Amino acid sequence: MHASVHRSLEGTHEHVARRSHGRPLIELSSLVKVYDTGEVPFTALKGIDLVVDEGEFVGLIGKSGSGKTTLINMITGIDRPSSGQVVVDGTPVHALGENALAAWRGRTIGVVFQFFQLLPTLTVVENVMLPMDFCNVHAVRERESYAMALLEQVEMVDQAHKLPAALSGGQQQRVAIARALANDPPILAADEPTGNLDSTTAEAVFGLFEKLVRQGKTIVMVTHDDDLAARVTRALHVRDGEIVEETRSPLKGSGQGHG
Amino acid sequence: MAEPRWSKIGRDLLAHKIRTLLTVLSIAIGVFAILVVIGGRGMLVESFDSNFPRSVPANATLYTSDFGEELVRAVARQPGVRAADGRRSTVMRFRLGDLRGVEEPPAGVTVAERSRSIEIVSAGDWASSEVERAFADEGVPWPPGPGEVVIERSATQEVDIAQGDSITVDAGDGELRVLRVVGFAHDINAFPAMFSGRLRGFVSMGELTDLRQPEAYNQLVVSMDRADLTRDEASRFAAHLRDDVLAPRGVAVYGMNVPKPNSHFLGDIFRAVALLLLALGIMALLLSGFLVVNTVSALVTQQVRQVGVMKAIGGRSSQIMWMYLALVAAYGVLALLVGLPTGGWWAGWFARFGGGLLNFGDAPATAPGYAIALAIAVGLLVPLAAAYFPIRTGTRISVVNALTRTGMSSAKFGHGFIDRVLGLVRGLPRPVALGLRNTFLRKGRLVMTLVTLTLASTVVMSVMSVRSSMLKTVDDVAAWWSYDVEVSYQQPVNRAAVEREILSTPGVTGAESWILHGASLARPDGSENDAPSVIGLPPASTFIKPRLVEGRWLRPGDVGLVVINTDIANDEGLRIGDTRTFTVRGRELEWRVVGIVQGQMMGSLVFTDREYLSRALGEEGAVGRTVVRTTDTSDAGQRLAGDRLEARLKSAGFVVSGVRTQRGMSTTLANELGILVTFLIVMAVILAAVGIIGLSGTMIINVLESTREIGVMRAVGASHGSIFQVFVTEGVVIGVLSWAFGAVFTYPVSLGLVLLLEKAITIPLSYEFSWSGVLAWLLVVAGISAVASLLPAFRASQVSVRDAIAYE
Repeated sequence: MHASVHRSLEGTHEHVARRSHGRPLIELSSLVKVYDTGEVPFTALKGIDLVVDEGEFVGLIGKSGSGKTTLINMITGIDRPSSGQVVVDGTPVHALGENALAAWRGRTIGVVFQFFQLLPTLTVVENVMLPMDFCNVHAVRERESYAMALLEQVEMVDQAHKLPAALSGGQQQRVAIARALANDPPILAADEPTGNLDSTTAEAVFGLFEKLVRQGKTIVMVTHDDDLAARVTRALHVRDGEIVEETRSPLKGSGQGHG
Repeated sequence: MAEPRWSKIGRDLLAHKIRTLLTVLSIAIGVFAILVVIGGRGMLVESFDSNFPRSVPANATLYTSDFGEELVRAVARQPGVRAADGRRSTVMRFRLGDLRGVEEPPAGVTVAERSRSIEIVSAGDWASSEVERAFADEGVPWPPGPGEVVIERSATQEVDIAQGDSITVDAGDGELRVLRVVGFAHDINAFPAMFSGRLRGFVSMGELTDLRQPEAYNQLVVSMDRADLTRDEASRFAAHLRDDVLAPRGVAVYGMNVPKPNSHFLGDIFRAVALLLLALGIMALLLSGFLVVNTVSALVTQQVRQVGVMKAIGGRSSQIMWMYLALVAAYGVLALLVGLPTGGWWAGWFARFGGGLLNFGDAPATAPGYAIALAIAVGLLVPLAAAYFPIRTGTRISVVNALTRTGMSSAKFGHGFIDRVLGLVRGLPRPVALGLRNTFLRKGRLVMTLVTLTLASTVVMSVMSVRSSMLKTVDDVAAWWSYDVEVSYQQPVNRAAVEREILSTPGVTGAESWILHGASLARPDGSENDAPSVIGLPPASTFIKPRLVEGRWLRPGDVGLVVINTDIANDEGLRIGDTRTFTVRGRELEWRVVGIVQGQMMGSLVFTDREYLSRALGEEGAVGRTVVRTTDTSDAGQRLAGDRLEARLKSAGFVVSGVRTQRGMSTTLANELGILVTFLIVMAVILAAVGIIGLSGTMIINVLESTREIGVMRAVGASHGSIFQVFVTEGVVIGVLSWAFGAVFTYPVSLGLVLLLEKAITIPLSYEFSWSGVLAWLLVVAGISAVASLLPAFRASQVSVRDAIAYE
């Protein structure tokens, strides 16, 4: 069962890969975010314009407080812009209501956090099944098989029935990535996914991202690690709420077999 | 595999055991209170409703000179009479056991064995009687055979008596008769032994001769046809029977009792208890609702980041809200598992206890269905209703807000008036100052906790004031009567002779004999009030200390002038100068009211000059009661004197029907009022438990929410002890605040409770605010608050810096 599901996932990914590259998937225009912090309003984003194409591996790079997390939160719909537009996969995210946004996000964007944020009382496989449950993706009986297939992809099948507290940070982040892939979203948004990991584990997780990009996923990742930033296909340097520099490079490395 | 979101509910329940326990207990207490109060009350009502009408209570009882079956048949033939029956009732003295041939123990040595009173009642045929029916237990001979007595069930409240035992009865002729107790019967119309202090025994008419009683009736019990009969109509009909049926046949009526139709004589007390319990049950329910709000708010606050994550991975607010509502429903189900069986058991206990006290008879085995349904609804719906808004608010939080919580308290401090005042407090040890200020950090939760604990404190302190008011009432009643022992006689006795014997009894310092009779007051509309008793006493008596409300006290030589108490004055609207006709011992006497004295738990009383009354009744020198003062006024001393008096009078040939000590009467009175206080205390304890659970819960939650602060404090050098002190201070401050607010409400609430009780039991109570209760509760609440904070404070002090800072 796992193998067939895995094949079907691979098939989906191949299909996504075939139609990938060139189609604009994320479009931000004149994006402004102002926080009301008391006496003086703080402008976190100052009119950002950005288009991310399908299949890109985008790194948002900047110092603490530069606005990179705010920017990724705009893309995921976790935060709302003060003005401007966010269109993701043809959907005007800024115009969606809270509930529609949650459902849309569950199917369109997989979110990976710095602190993993696995629900502590659910087992690894249950954590992965949770988005399917919320978004009613796959038949109820098949969800566990899909979840196991995803855990196999991130090499966490052996830990499937453990609670998150029993896992290392790197293992938890792999599970978080599997969870982000649960509903087979075209986009993965990761905020400092390696920020809380040692360098070896961080490398493994990054390798997993590279593998996913190769399979056709579009990834937007916040990082302040210059080494990792150098390996994304498109690095956007954010400073004081603006994108001040952009570098592009082809995807490097095989990204296979990291663990 | 279950859908993960539902699995999460189950795991959350198990993962946070203390929180689950507290929440489940909070709800279970509400379920418990409702089931005990509504269910117990329902069971009592069911037993009353099945046993009281079945007994066919009399609409009128006439206390008469001797009569026979022929009169009973004549009364039964009267239009409007459903059934009539004759009874013989005599109060005798008895002792447990077969004492024939046993030498009379020396008086005073055998206090434990001293005689008690028993009302010996006989009827033609108990089994076929159609009025005021008593029901013998299964297998008990009914009517009892020769030499046998069946004892009314409530006797076991007073004496240790069982089937097969014997009692030795003093018939007054110097010879002892032994009756074998062949079993028990239930007579719902009998005054429970605990209150009356005497037993009721049923014998056959044939037994009367052996007890030196005429084989004739002296009570006529009548039940009427009409279900909608009013008391006045019944009273008029009883007067008609007396004047038109009994009098022409030469039967004198000495007194009448016409109760309010279809109401039990303990109905008022029962209603008062039921009302109080209902009020307190609702309060417990509200408090448990507050606890649920507090706990669920904290739960959502604690899980806000998880809510954010779930939303980030596609969970809609409504889906997440349902998850938490399901969690609360699960708490409710668990609470029902705890609350239903325990509440059911205690409801049964309550019904048995209450039913026993009130002599309502056997209670049903289970609480009524509606009470169980209500308890289930309370267990499920109240928590859901209480939790709905906190959950709705908590799950609607934006993802970014949920995810960016730092773990430091999000509560604001420093802007409000109280915060600024607290900021000015100087000189306290730093942990104490921090604990004090932390108390006001989360004001919403503080308010909820304070409301819960303040309500509990108010009720506890008010109940203490109600208790002291009850005790003061007992003292006031005792102070009214300025004697130690009262001796009543089966028949009027010669005053001079009886006082001679009494005054020569060792330990007696003074005695005074009174005339005592039931009286009937004719109302202008033709109905009668048969409640009053008339007391003939010397106007200069020092054996009572009446509190004059209006007019004057009796003077020697008063003829046809009476002083009444407020009971009869209020019932009949009598004022100074009013003249009314009273019937005493079959004689109509016209009396004018010259004074009104304060009545207090003594029924309707009319006082008049003894000499005048004895002349008016044509029974000069005859008295019915002697009141006695003794050297030793302690409980034991009064009882000893009672024993001596009884032995002395018996040996002199007087037939004593009752010996009561003043302290014994106070105890009986205190017992009666004590039932109310006991119920109140039980409920106060439940409320206090709810309050304490609430405080514990709040403290645990506060500690959890302060984990990051604790880490910071530890990082800057705070010791275990300092952290401990911070949280214990916070708990104690909350406890003491609740006491202070509670103390403010205690006066009006306790006064209201006393007035409510007064209205319900129609007895004037002397209000007394219990300062000692208020001060005692301060100590208790401070101590309990400290204890309630110990576990959370200990947990706080054990948090390591690393764990605290890493707390997510």
